[in-house]
This record gives sequence, C-alpha cells and structure tokens, in this order.
Amino acid sequence: MTPKLWVGLLATAAIGAMAAGAAGSVQAGTTDTVTLTVGLTQDIDSPNVTVGYTVAAYEFWNLQYATLTDKAADDFAIIPGLAESWEGSDDGLTYTYTLREGLKWSDGEPLTADDVVFTVNTSRDQAWFNHSSVTANLTATALDERTVEIVSAVPDPKLPTMDVYILPEHIWAGPAADDITTYDALEGVGSGPFTLKEWKPGQEWTVVANPNYWQGEPAIDQIVFRLYTEGGAMVAALENGELDAANDIPAALFEGLASDDIVTVAGAQGGFTELAMNGMAGGLGDGHPALLDLDVRHAVAMAIDRDALFERVALGIGLPLTVLGVSPLQEWLPEIPEDQRLGYDPAAANALLDAGGYLDTDGDDVREMPDGSQSLIFRYAERSEGTQGAAVRELITGWLTEVGIATEVSVFDDTQLGTAVGAGEYDLFVWGWTPFVDPDPMLSYFTCGQLTTDVESLGYNDANWCSEEYDALYEQQNQELDRDKRIALVHEMITLFHNESTYVVLYHDADTQAYRTDRFEGWLQQPADTGPVIFTNSSPTYFNLAPIDGGGGDDDGGMSTGLLIAIIIGVLIVVVGGGLLVMRSRAGREERE
Amino acid sequence: MRAGFVIRKLLGALSTLAFVVVFNFFLFRIVNPNPVDSMFRGRNLTREQLDQITRKFNLDGSKWDQFVGYVQQLLRGDLGLSFKGNRPVATVIGEALWPTVLLVGTSTLLSMIGITIGYRAGWRRGSRFDTASTSFSMVTYSMPEFWVGMVFLGFFSAKLGWFPVGGLEDPGSNATGVAKYLDQLHHMVLPATVLAIAYVGEYMIVARSAMIETLREDYLQLARAKGMREEEVRRRHAVPNARLPVVSLSAINFGFIFSGAIAVETIFSWPGIGQATFLAVRGPDLPMLQGLFLLISATVIVANLIADLLYGKLDPRVLGR
Repeated sequence: MTPKLWVGLLATAAIGAMAAGAAGSVQAGTTDTVTLTVGLTQDIDSPNVTVGYTVAAYEFWNLQYATLTDKAADDFAIIPGLAESWEGSDDGLTYTYTLREGLKWSDGEPLTADDVVFTVNTSRDQAWFNHSSVTANLTATALDERTVEIVSAVPDPKLPTMDVYILPEHIWAGPAADDITTYDALEGVGSGPFTLKEWKPGQEWTVVANPNYWQGEPAIDQIVFRLYTEGGAMVAALENGELDAANDIPAALFEGLASDDIVTVAGAQGGFTELAMNGMAGGLGDGHPALLDLDVRHAVAMAIDRDALFERVALGIGLPLTVLGVSPLQEWLPEIPEDQRLGYDPAAANALLDAGGYLDTDGDDVREMPDGSQSLIFRYAERSEGTQGAAVRELITGWLTEVGIATEVSVFDDTQLGTAVGAGEYDLFVWGWTPFVDPDPMLSYFTCGQLTTDVESLGYNDANWCSEEYDALYEQQNQELDRDKRIALVHEMITLFHNESTYVVLYHDADTQAYRTDRFEGWLQQPADTGPVIFTNSSPTYFNLAPIDGGGGDDDGGMSTGLLIAIIIGVLIVVVGGGLLVMRSRAGREERE
Repeated sequence: MRAGFVIRKLLGALSTLAFVVVFNFFLFRIVNPNPVDSMFRGRNLTREQLDQITRKFNLDGSKWDQFVGYVQQLLRGDLGLSFKGNRPVATVIGEALWPTVLLVGTSTLLSMIGITIGYRAGWRRGSRFDTASTSFSMVTYSMPEFWVGMVFLGFFSAKLGWFPVGGLEDPGSNATGVAKYLDQLHHMVLPATVLAIAYVGEYMIVARSAMIETLREDYLQLARAKGMREEEVRRRHAVPNARLPVVSLSAINFGFIFSGAIAVETIFSWPGIGQATFLAVRGPDLPMLQGLFLLISATVIVANLIADLLYGKLDPRVLGR
C-alpha cells in the first residue's frame, strides 16, 4: 500500500469521526421527542406472540397488547382492563365480561367482543404457544359488540382473571388461516399503551405511544429498548446518561451502582436456586440408595449453610427464603415452623447419620451405607451456564465433607443436565426455576404425572419425587375457588414438599435493575416493595412514567464535547498523516536527485 | 499461472468445505441431541407443543434423515431457522455481515500500517526506531483486546463521554443518508481503534522478521554494488522478497473479517457476526452456530485459496511444488 493511500485512509477516518460528532450534536439539538431508553441484555426472539418466548418479548407484548383483566401493580390483584366489569355464574364456570365503550386499536379500528372471541377460540384450537395454558378449556361467545361470555369446561380458580393478550382480528385472521407461526408481526397494531415502531434484531426495538390506549395517551412518546451484550458496558451507559433504566445488571457491579441519580432495585419474582437430590420416583437411572432415606436428605439439608450462600454467592441480592417459590407474591409462601426448618446444624446432621447407621467404618472420613455396601459418595452435577455454579459447588461440597459425605463433581450445560436429570443419572444438582404469578404451574411440576419415565419424553418433575398426598392437595387447590382456602392448601403443599427435602431451596434470586431519577418519575415496583420496576409481570411502570420538568427530552449536551475532541483527534491525524506524506515526497526527491 | 496448480488448489478448498459441512452437522448434534426440551424448561408446555416445535426446527427423524435434509437445505441456500430469533439464519447472518465488514475491515486496513513500520524497523534493525516500534508492538500484541476494549470504554465513553458506549447507531435513531453514515462512524471509532491496536503489532512483528530474513541475501549486496541507493534497494529488492509471510497473514486476517471480532463486538454491543456468535453460543442456538461456523470456515478457506494463488504469482517457484 502506498503512503498516499495511507494518508487518504487516515484522513477519511479523521473526517468521518469529526463529522460523526457533528451529526450527533445536530441530532441532539433538533428532536424534542420524549424518549425513555432502557438497556437490556436479551433481545426479543420474535414479536409474534404465538411464537416468541424470551423475557424481552413478554415485555414488548405487555406494552402492545392490553388484556381483559389487568393486574394491580402492588399485589397482582385483578383489576379492570379492556373489560370494565364482569359477572360470574354460581357454578364458577361462566363469566360474562363487558368491554369499555369506544375501545379502539392503535390503527383506529374498533376493538370489539369479536376480537376477544377470535383470540380465545383460535388460540385454543391452534394451541398458541403463550395463550393455550389459559385458553385450553375456554369457549368465548360474543353476546353483542361489548359483551363476551367465556365458559370454562372445568372449574378453574384462575378465572375471572383473563390475562391473555387480545389480538386484533382484522390483522391476525389472515395469518391464523394460514400458518400463524410464520407471521412476522411487525405491523405494530395493538391496544396497549405502546406499540411497535421498529425492531432492529441484535440492536434495539422501539415502541411508540398509542393515542387510542384506553387509559389515555402515555406521557412518554417512545421507548427504546437497547441491547447490550456486555453488562459492564450497559452499566456505563446508565451512568453517563445514555440509558434511563437497565435490566439484568451484573451482580458484581450492582452494589456500588446506587448514587444521587441512580436507584438500584433487587426485584424478586419468586425465582429460586435449589439443591436437588435424586428421589428416584421415576424409576430411571441409578441414584444413590442413601438418598431414599429421608434422614439422609435432612442431614444434607442441615449440612448446608444457606445464609452463607445467600450472602457470599448471591451477594445478598434477593431474599434468604428456603421454601419453594411458586409465585412472586409472598402470600403464597408458608412460614415453616421453627422445629422443621432444617437450618444449618452440622452436629445435628452428623448425629442423624450416625443414628441411621451411616458410619465411617474404614477410616477414610467418608461414611458407608449401614450394610457397608457402598460409601456415601454422591455425584454432584454442576451447571456450566450461569455465574454462580462453581462458587455454590465449592461451598456445598466442602460442607458435605464435614458430615462425612464425599462428592464427585461433573459439569454440564443445560441440555446435558436436563437429559442427565431426566435419565436419573445423578445424585445431586443445583439449578433454579422462576414461577408464574399463579402458583399452579410451579406446583404442577412436582406431581407424579410430571415424573420422567421415558428419556425420550422428559417430564418437569426434576425433584424425581412424588406423593399421593401432594397430588391430592394439588387437585384440591386447582379447583378451590375460595382464595383463602386455596392459599392454605398451597401452604400445606409447600410445607410437605419442604419436609420431604428432595429439593433444598438455597435462596430466592432477584432481578438486578437500576433507573435514573433525573429525567423520569413514577417508577413502580410490581409487586410493591419486593418486586422489580421493569420486566415485571404486567409492566405497569411505563404508562405511569412522566418526564421531570427540564428532563425527558433527548438533549444531553454530551455530544458537543465529543465533537470538540473528534476535531482535535481529526486534526492531529491529518497533521501526522500530512507530515508523513511530506517526508515521503522529500525522500522521493532526494532519490531522484 | 498453470491451470493444474489452480485446479489442484480449488479442489483442495472444495473438499475442505465439504468436510466442514459434515463435521459441523454432527458436532452440534453430539453436543446437543435434543435442544427443544432444554430451551423450553419450565414453560408449562404440553408434549404435543414440544413435538410441534421439534418438527419446526427439523429435529425429528433419525440423524441421517436430518443430515440429508440439512444438505438439501444448504444446496437451496437455506441455512435453517434460528432457535432464538425464530428467523432464517441466512437473514440474521446477512444483517450482521455489513456491520462486521465495516468494523473489522476498517481496523484491518488501519492496522496494515504495521507492515510499513515493520519493514522500516527490520531494515534498520537495532536502530532507535526499531527498538521503539518493536517494544510498542510487543505491548499492544500481548494486550488482550477485551481488556483494552473495557479500558477504552470505561475511559472514553463512561468517564469522558466522548463516544457512545456501544451499538451501531444512537438509540432510536431515524437518521438516513450521510447522517446515518456519520452516526455509525462515531460509534465505530472506539471498537475500530481497539481492534487496530490489537492487530497492528502482529503485522509489524511479522513484517519486521520477514525483512530481517532478506537482509542477509546476496542479491541485496549485488544491488548495492551496482550503485543503487539504499532506499531503492529496500523498495525494489528487499520488500518484494519479504512479502510472502505478510501476504499469508493478511489473507488469513481478511478471511477473519467475516468472522467478526467476538470480544470487541460483544463489549461494544456491535451488531455484527462476532456478537451473533456470542449470542448463539450463549443460546445455544444450534442452527445459528452451524450457519456461522460454515460462513467462517468458508471465508477462511476462500481467503487461503486466494493467498495460495497469490503466492503462485508472487513467487513462481511455488507453482512447481
């Protein structure tokens, strides 16, 4: 490459950088759109609500699609949404919803009972991915433009909650007649507070205010959700004001992040991390026989210092709870009686194992089975994904040696681990779950019907434990229409599950989020006090936000410094490059002389 | 150039590519025999729904059937459907190509200044210029690019606020035409500089040692004896003979332009092939990984083919081998 070309390239880069700074400042100066910018680490997988499944996609649908009944920000209590009222029949099987007057889609088309009927019935018939768990047993009929009757084939305690996204029939009827899963769903027509304007995969997605939203037009004009692949970079963007809020902040950066302008939120949604033991109820695999003994399971639970795990591994972010998380709402979680808590007590654990005849007969510091047939060496399956696996393993395996239990550690990715667990080829593993608002799905995972009995068809029950008593309680709560009674049943189930101890819940995780306080106000935690502010169950924050006087616009003034620096760098490069060119041509002249 | 040489090289490249296709397919099937179950853990789906998804991603049937289907798909230019994006892999890769070519291409071109520096340093071996430039190159070459990236990002973006923290364009940007191009350039300054710093030392070191190799050659003495100026001896006789290693390095690096820069693209959230690879691995999104590996292998194979052919032109002795 000739020197001239070099100089040309350098000059182009310099001019480009300078002009780029200028472009930035021009853009900052000319716009007065009120934009909220949110940083996230996960992209939408598909805007099509019959296909997508990432958390980011749910955040988008929460904004674009209103539901018949809404959820209160504080406690998920059922509140009117598109339906202003509803009435139930005495048998609890039929509900009649009355829609608000004058509802419109964001494109101006009227939103009627027909749209509800289309969504409920078609999603049931075609088993839409995100709808069918609610609509599988429902039939909707339009009584008139504003009245829709929904009949459930079975008693369903979730009714009258109708939290499925209602889709516009005039848009979706076409794709539904064909193969709905192939529809790109980029049209941005909805009934929620914001609708899709543009999705740039891998970069960002933008939603704009819906002027026809039933609660009125939002105070924010648009929200940009910006994708960051590196959590540290996202935090930097929040700190320098490029972002107004961020989700999924790396735990290590979370603690020191709060400042005068930044509020941090550790939002619990019921998600938890557990140590699971092989209960061998599915009949597959080769779990360690000692784990069939409840005393051994209790000894393992008592050998683990869960407070230390919460403080040292979860860095105190989340909740130090040790019961199965079945909902973000704490009311579903029982208080375990003091004498049943299985708290950290290695002496008691040792005593329990001694009493059970698990003694170290050969002096290798590892206990043997009472009949001497086998040592208490458990296979510990560590999950490679996530950031806490190694730290948790170090602590737990260390604590287990103190009660005479040895471990053999293998590391698995999620697929391998799922397969190994399904096949019953493990003794211990550490993994986690995040529940829905209603406790039913999480509770259902530990019924006998969800055991894996065929590796080709994995069930959800990775506790590999089941009991008739639990299943009977599950059926009861599933049909109990009185909320208080249902809560009592659920408490009973969770306590039973806790005492059986194939799952030792280590701690409840939290979503690490932060938001700036200098541009917008009105951030809502869902549920109140313990929940996150964004990426919540029904995302009420966004509609509630309003720009603070003097903030909220796009003007951030930072670009002018950028421009100045870009000019300086540019000039330097041109001068150096020019100097090189001059030197070269001088050298050339010397040669010719 | 002899036709036999070209055909031999072409056939070699094609068979390598065929091997990559087969290897790619079975590698990912061994790593993850049934990804659908793990992807949808905890999703409260019925077995029918899971089976439907399995069919959609062509994961049903025997491995052999899946392989035949995959090859037929490939021949149609179809790379399958991404698990994560639920969009055709070819489309996702197509969108990521331009940002990567822009970023890695620019920094590769910028870093080739290292060649000139390397030749000069090698020519004046032991001089102060040589010592300074070699030390500089050793330092930049050994600095991990993710570390340099984090330092630049922390200092120039987070602390000073001169450059945006990441991405290709400003958030929610509607810019078109020149403004769009300039916005992208502004975003590219930091990642391109980091990459150029990472690459420049490599070029410099290779060029310098290639030059030193030629210094001992008799034909340089002969040229000097003919009365040629030093500068001319360097340009006409030393540099052309020091080109071969530099050409192969450049060819390999140009091959890697399409593979992106995983660390730097990830740190700067640059929506290119490197970031796509990072996201696909994190998925794991098998069809994406399969498509990306194929693209990366294919470009490296093609770049090497070009280098081989160029070798033949630069050094006619190669043709006879």
